[in-house]
Amino acid sequence: MRTQSITVSEPLRRAAPEGNQTMYPLQIEHLTKRYGHDVVVDDLTFTVPPGRVTCFLGPNGAGKSTTMKILLDLARADHGHATIGGTRYREMADPARTVGVALEPNAFHPGRSGRNHLRVLTDGAGIAPARIDQTLEMVGLTHAADRHVGGYSLGMRQRLGLAAALLGDPPVLVLDEPGNGLDPQGIRWLRDLLRERAAAGGTVFVSTHLLSEVEHLADEVVVLSHGQLVATGALATLQHAGTSVRTSDPERLTQLLTSAGATVRAGTDGDLVVRGVGIVEIGDRACSAGIALHELSPQAGSLEELFLDWTAATTPTTDVPTTDDTAGNGTTITGAGTVDVADAERQALPL
Amino acid sequence: MTRLRLLRGEIRKLTTTKLPWGFLGVLIAIAGLNASIVAFGTDTDGSKAFVATAGDQQSLLAFAFNALLGTALFGAIAAAREYGHGTVVPTFLTSPNRTRAVLAQLAAVLLAGAALGLIGQTLMIAAVAVALQTTQYAFLVSAGHVIQLLAASAVAGAIGAVLGAGLGMVIRNTGGAVTTAVLVVFLAPPLVVQLVSAAASWIPTALLAVLSGVSSDVSIWAALLAVAAWALVPAAAGLVAVQRRDVA
Repeated sequence: MRTQSITVSEPLRRAAPEGNQTMYPLQIEHLTKRYGHDVVVDDLTFTVPPGRVTCFLGPNGAGKSTTMKILLDLARADHGHATIGGTRYREMADPARTVGVALEPNAFHPGRSGRNHLRVLTDGAGIAPARIDQTLEMVGLTHAADRHVGGYSLGMRQRLGLAAALLGDPPVLVLDEPGNGLDPQGIRWLRDLLRERAAAGGTVFVSTHLLSEVEHLADEVVVLSHGQLVATGALATLQHAGTSVRTSDPERLTQLLTSAGATVRAGTDGDLVVRGVGIVEIGDRACSAGIALHELSPQAGSLEELFLDWTAATTPTTDVPTTDDTAGNGTTITGAGTVDVADAERQALPL
Repeated sequence: MTRLRLLRGEIRKLTTTKLPWGFLGVLIAIAGLNASIVAFGTDTDGSKAFVATAGDQQSLLAFAFNALLGTALFGAIAAAREYGHGTVVPTFLTSPNRTRAVLAQLAAVLLAGAALGLIGQTLMIAAVAVALQTTQYAFLVSAGHVIQLLAASAVAGAIGAVLGAGLGMVIRNTGGAVTTAVLVVFLAPPLVVQLVSAAASWIPTALLAVLSGVSSDVSIWAALLAVAAWALVPAAAGLVAVQRRDVA
C-alpha cells in the first residue's frame, strides 16, 4: 500500500520559556497497533514539539485515539513506542503533574458529583485539594460542582474533563476532541487556554474534527489516514504547500502526476492543484512527457481542501521506491511515498 | 506513600456514590427481617424453641455467609462499573503501574467489604437482641461469641468483596460480574459437593460456619485460609487480566 506522507519541519516559533522549565516533546516512533487482522496504527512516526499547539487530525477510525492511548500506556503497541520527554508514560515519576489528559467526555460515574470526581483524582495523585476549586473556577463549572455528573450536558462534561486534566498544572496536555459540545464561548476559552499553555513552553497535543478551529488554534498538524501518517508539519507551511498548474492537456498531466504519487484535483479557476510532488518535479515530468505548461505556481489551500486531499491520498498503488533529487533540497521520496525534509532545509514543500 | 494515596482515592470512589448506601439499606432490611422472625416467628409446634439456647441464637445470628454473598455483589459492581463508566482510565493515568492500581482497588473494596460485614452483623445482633425482648427468652450469646460473630462477618465481608472485585475485573460487564459472583458463591459450591463429597467442609457456607463458631468441621485457621483462597483465585485472575488488557 502506497501512502503519501509529508513532513515539513521548521524551527520552533517561540523560544523556550525563561527559567529552567523542562520541555516535554512527545515522540511517536514506528508505532504499530493491530486489533486482530486490522492494522489501526501503521508504523507511525512523528514528534509533537513543546511550545506549540499540535492538532491531531484524521477521519473517524484513522487511529488518533489509539495513538493517544498508546502514548498514555492505556493500550499496548505491537511495535514501536511512544515517549513523553524521552520517558515512557509508565516510567514517569509523577505522571499526574506532568501530563494532563482528557480522553472520553463520558468517563465519569453519573452518580458522582463533579467535585467528588476531582476529589478522587486529587486523593489518588496527592494533589492539593485547593486545586479543585481553582480548576472548577477556571473551566466555569463552579456553579454545578456539587451536581451529579449524570445531569451534566456534554459541554459540562467536557469542562469537567478539562478541569481534571488541569488539576496537576501539567506542562503537557493530551486532549481528545476537547471542543466537542462546547459553546462558542467555551471554544474561545479553550483556544486561549491552549495557546497560553503552549506559549509558556508547554506541549499541547489535541485531536479534533473541527477544522475551522484548527485554523485558529494549530501551530502544527499531524494528519492520519487509515492509521498512517499522511502529513505533519507547521500548518502555515503546509497550507501553502500546493502547486497550481495550467496546461492544455490536463488529462495527460493528471495521469502522469498521479502515477508519480501526486494528488491532483481540479482547481476553481480551470487550473489543476497538485500536492505530493514538488514544483520542480512537476515541471521536469511535464517537460519529459512533452506537455506544455502555461502556469506553474505555488498555491495556498484551505485546511478543508488540504484535509480532504491528504486523507484521500492513501490509495493503494504498486509503485516501487524511488528517490527524487530533482527538488535539489535534500527531499527524499521513498517507495512508501514518504517525503521527509531535513530540519536544516526548513522550507515549504509543495504537496 | 503512593500506595496510600491510591488507596485513599479508591476509598473516595467507593464512598462518593450511592452503592455503599444501597448495600447498607439491604443490611438494615436483613436485620429487620431477622428481628421480625424472632418477634413473630414460631416453630411448627407454636413455640419459640429456635431461640431457646445460646447455640440456637448464635446460629440465627451468624451473618457471615450473607456478608460474603452481599459483598461479593458489592465488589463485582464496584470493579465492573469502573470499566463500564471508564473511570478506570484516570486511575491508570494516575498510576500507570497497574499492579499498584489494582492492589489499591482490591484493598479499598476489602476494607469496604469488611465494614459492610461488620455493620451488617452489628445490626443483626442489635435487631435480634431487641426482638428477643418480645419473647420469653433473653439474649444468651456470650460476649466472646458476639466478638467471634463480628470478626467472622468482617472477614467474610472482606473476602467476599475481593472475590467479587476480582470477577468484576475479569468480566467488566456489571450484569455478567454479578451473575458470576452469585454462581461462584451460591450455586457452584453445592454442585462441587455433589461431585466431590469430601469438599463439603471446604465450601464457603461450611467454612464461615466454622469462623462464626457454629461448626467445628475444620480448625479456624484452616477455615480462614480456605475461605481466603476462594477470593484469592478471582483476585489473581483480575490482576493478571488487567495487566494484559488495553483500556477501551
